[in-house]
Amino acid sequence: MSGGAYLDHAAATPLDPRVREAMEPFLGGAGSPSSIHEWGRHPAEALERARGQVAALVGADEDGLIFTSGAVEARNLAVKGLLAGNRALGRHVVASAVEHPATLAACRTAERAGAPLDLVRVDGEGRIAPAALAEAVREDTALVAVVHGQPDIGTLQDVPALAAAARAARPEARVAVDAGETAGLVPVDMASMDADALVVGGTALGAPAWAGALAVRPGARLHPLIEGGVEEGGKRAGAEALPAIVALGAAAEIAREEMAARAARMEALGERLAAGLLAVPDVRLNGPRRGRIPGNVHVSAGWVEGESLALAMAARGVAVSPGSACTAHGGKAAPTLEAIGLEPPWTHSAVLLTLRWTTTEAEVDAAVAAFADAVAALRAMSPLAP
Amino acid sequence: MRTATRLVDALGTWCPVPIHLVERAARRASPGDVLELLADDPLIEVDLPAWCHSSGNELLELRRQGSDYVGRVAVTRGRDGGRPPRDRARGRSASG
Repeated sequence: MSGGAYLDHAAATPLDPRVREAMEPFLGGAGSPSSIHEWGRHPAEALERARGQVAALVGADEDGLIFTSGAVEARNLAVKGLLAGNRALGRHVVASAVEHPATLAACRTAERAGAPLDLVRVDGEGRIAPAALAEAVREDTALVAVVHGQPDIGTLQDVPALAAAARAARPEARVAVDAGETAGLVPVDMASMDADALVVGGTALGAPAWAGALAVRPGARLHPLIEGGVEEGGKRAGAEALPAIVALGAAAEIAREEMAARAARMEALGERLAAGLLAVPDVRLNGPRRGRIPGNVHVSAGWVEGESLALAMAARGVAVSPGSACTAHGGKAAPTLEAIGLEPPWTHSAVLLTLRWTTTEAEVDAAVAAFADAVAALRAMSPLAP
Repeated sequence: MRTATRLVDALGTWCPVPIHLVERAARRASPGDVLELLADDPLIEVDLPAWCHSSGNELLELRRQGSDYVGRVAVTRGRDGGRPPRDRARGRSASG
């Protein structure tokens, strides 16, 4: 949109042209990676090349990398698959209170089936304390789930310290790390994070949102969610979405080379954006000022409803998400905002703006102007605003 | 002395998937490599010895470990498909 800005990259991000070029030959071509004839050779090679590219990005074992339909499926597979494969360890589940909704839902499903669940509280900026995590781990804890970069408020967690705390409390417990919003934007290494499973998502990489993967440590014992075939080592049956997989692999390789430059640009743009938004009266930044996902800016505006604000900004040519990129509908408070101790109206007045390395200063400035104008207009209509 | 070089994790999968995974791993292995299979489908007690017999690979061990099965296979053919000669001739993979 001319003069506007697209700052909703966490929901979906335009494809990197190099990624598009890599995936296009696999849109509608003949031959399955599982075929044993000549037509299957090229797809099979592309599949394995992508597996290596994504594994290299996050320091994973290629043999343990499972492609999925996106980060949400990977989150479900991590929780449900590790619990099913590790019943001998126990049934207790520990997760932070600020996990992605897909992780929380999978944990709730386990709880409904009889697994005791403990959600670990976070501080006012969304950080999980290693001591609090360790305190929640019991002798029958089978799974500990922690999110590396909180999808809404962007808080980056010290995952190595959290994993160490969990291991100290129970070495056998499986540790699932959600890097669905961070892999490709900041360094992610499965070994130094001591993760048994690690979620990778497409949007953070500049690949489609419908591309993702779960990296699993050999020996971690994972059961599949989708059964009935040998695809993905039997852990995710069904025809491989080759264009998405190739896109994820190409994006991972590009990200390895360009990550530092991208992060520096996004952090600078994020600072510019946050400063502009916070210049509007009665606006607060949710999450930490430092130590957040590059390009993530999450604010609440007093006496303004988040969904109305997102729509008002869209009318001014600026795309953002209300409150959460993942639960953009329903008018409900984002659970993450409640977890960090916010109360209404702050929990209902949030918008999430997410940048990428392709974002321009002009877009940032357009977003700030649209935000200020929309907030003023909505407050003028509000009977509650002073 | 042989050492295990490739773990085949077939946990949570049912026949014929475990034996397909073994076959695939054998195809990618070199003669002398050892595959270590982890499975929890009881049919592996039948499938793994049968596959080793028909494919010409050597079954070193198949034992229960709790509710799991641990199998060790010495790859003697490797990289030729690891499939029974009959199936190779027909251009399809073996089933378990």
